[in-house]
Amino acid sequence: MKRESKIKKEEDNIELEDRIEELEVESDSTLVRFDHVSKIFKNDKAILDNINLEIKKGEFVSIVGHSGAGKSTLLKMIHVEESPTEGSVYFDGVSLDMISRRKLAYHRRRIGMIFQDFKLLPQKTVFENVAYALEVCGTPKAEILEDVPQILDIVGLGDKMEKFPRQLSGGEQQKVVLARALIHKPLVIVADEPTGNLDPNNSLEIVKLLLDINKLGTTVILASHDHDIVNKASKRVVVLDHGKIICDDAKGKYKIC
Amino acid sequence: MFLIIGRTIKESFINFWRNGWLSVAAVSVLVLSLFVVGAVFTMGMVADNVLKNVEGKVNVSVYFKSDVSEEKISQSKNDLESFKEISSIEYVSKDKALEIFKKDNADEPVIMQSLEEIGENPLLASLVIKANNPSQYQSISDYVSNASFKDDVSRINYGKNKDLINRLNGIIFQSKKIGLVVAGIFGAVSILIIFNTIRITIYTHKQEIEVMRLVGASNMFIRLPFIFEGILYGVIASLIASLILMVAIKFINVYASSVVSSGNLFTFYLSHAPYVLGLQIAIGAFLGITSSWIAMQKYLKI
Repeated sequence: MKRESKIKKEEDNIELEDRIEELEVESDSTLVRFDHVSKIFKNDKAILDNINLEIKKGEFVSIVGHSGAGKSTLLKMIHVEESPTEGSVYFDGVSLDMISRRKLAYHRRRIGMIFQDFKLLPQKTVFENVAYALEVCGTPKAEILEDVPQILDIVGLGDKMEKFPRQLSGGEQQKVVLARALIHKPLVIVADEPTGNLDPNNSLEIVKLLLDINKLGTTVILASHDHDIVNKASKRVVVLDHGKIICDDAKGKYKIC
Repeated sequence: MFLIIGRTIKESFINFWRNGWLSVAAVSVLVLSLFVVGAVFTMGMVADNVLKNVEGKVNVSVYFKSDVSEEKISQSKNDLESFKEISSIEYVSKDKALEIFKKDNADEPVIMQSLEEIGENPLLASLVIKANNPSQYQSISDYVSNASFKDDVSRINYGKNKDLINRLNGIIFQSKKIGLVVAGIFGAVSILIIFNTIRITIYTHKQEIEVMRLVGASNMFIRLPFIFEGILYGVIASLIASLILMVAIKFINVYASSVVSSGNLFTFYLSHAPYVLGLQIAIGAFLGITSSWIAMQKYLKI
């Protein structure tokens, strides 16, 4: 018993040293790091199983896998919608466990989220939907009036500001979401199945936009099970299966290893 | 900061308006409970006023035997004046007593006639003692009946009003208690109803709340509209309740004016209205905030 605990302690020490080393290396090039992250739900089913993943600033990472492989859970941990059962997630060098509920809002402003189901407010116009993201953070009116049209121009919806979401196509709605995600000038865009509800043409447009954004320096994390768009991106591909990373290719194609 | 408060207040007004009948229901229950609170409070103030009036009229009269000299009486008066509990002592001579008696019974010819037939002054000289506190009359009267001049005393007139005061005190206490219980019940019901209203507001704003969290709205920004909505219910309800209370008192005024010393219940209420309104707003806002808070704890995920 005693011996076991001693061994355990030594292991911990080694782990700790590793971590310190990692922290030093991390400095400013790493944006998101999953450190031995597991997520286990009540029924003992591990959604994520000992994930170690590092995403550098300015990277474009596609995370692929069957539905239920744990993609969404992984992404939700970045904006602390879910917390790991074991391990830690580091964002910009800081463990997300350390972020208090009060500070959580500020953390989330550094992340732009995009979803399959858009999550636009139907009773607000395109302009208002994007402006809302600034309003709720207490941005002055003048700044809102200046920034929102700029962002909408970037995604190509400058002429549809006064339309309501229901008057737009799916692709256009997703562009509004993208504009809303960009309005805070986030460090990273986290896109969870952004093309799940779109036809191939619109999907490609969205990926192009994401690639453009990435070129300008914003990190992009894209979860998808759509071959075409992952191949189109032709960037780093991480393959998840049953909560484990089974492949991590720097210049990958969509595949189930 | 002001920007956030301004935007959230605007949001809560819109919620209030769009909820329509729900808001009406929440406000009307709150009006009921605040009306009861206000009524109990006003009643309490009136009762205190009445009690003070009656207490002011209470005194102990020590009547001296007819053969006791005036000097002796004033000696006893000096003796009594050393008493801390006594606020005033008035000497009423035989002649004065007769004068008062005649005045009081001027329109009763039978009494006046019989008084004349007696020929001499049948009334006794007395000391009218007022105490600082009605509870002290007992000890004063005990003291007098054991004092050095007790042999000169014919009788001590005390106790007539005592029962009245005790009964009045009891009634006031009981009715305050009942009033508070009723107000408490109404208060609990209004918490439930506002809670439900806020719960529905939270539910209908699910989407907005989700988006707010997503784009990094602070917790305060997400919560404040609901808190303000609760306060809004409280303030609107307390204004309506005090208006109803005012009208009610105006009606009662005709029947119940004589109870307060100033002789007008309505003006009495008006002079105390700021306290009543203040209390109602405070309680209303408290109930509103409490129920919003409970609803948020249960249904609002941050």
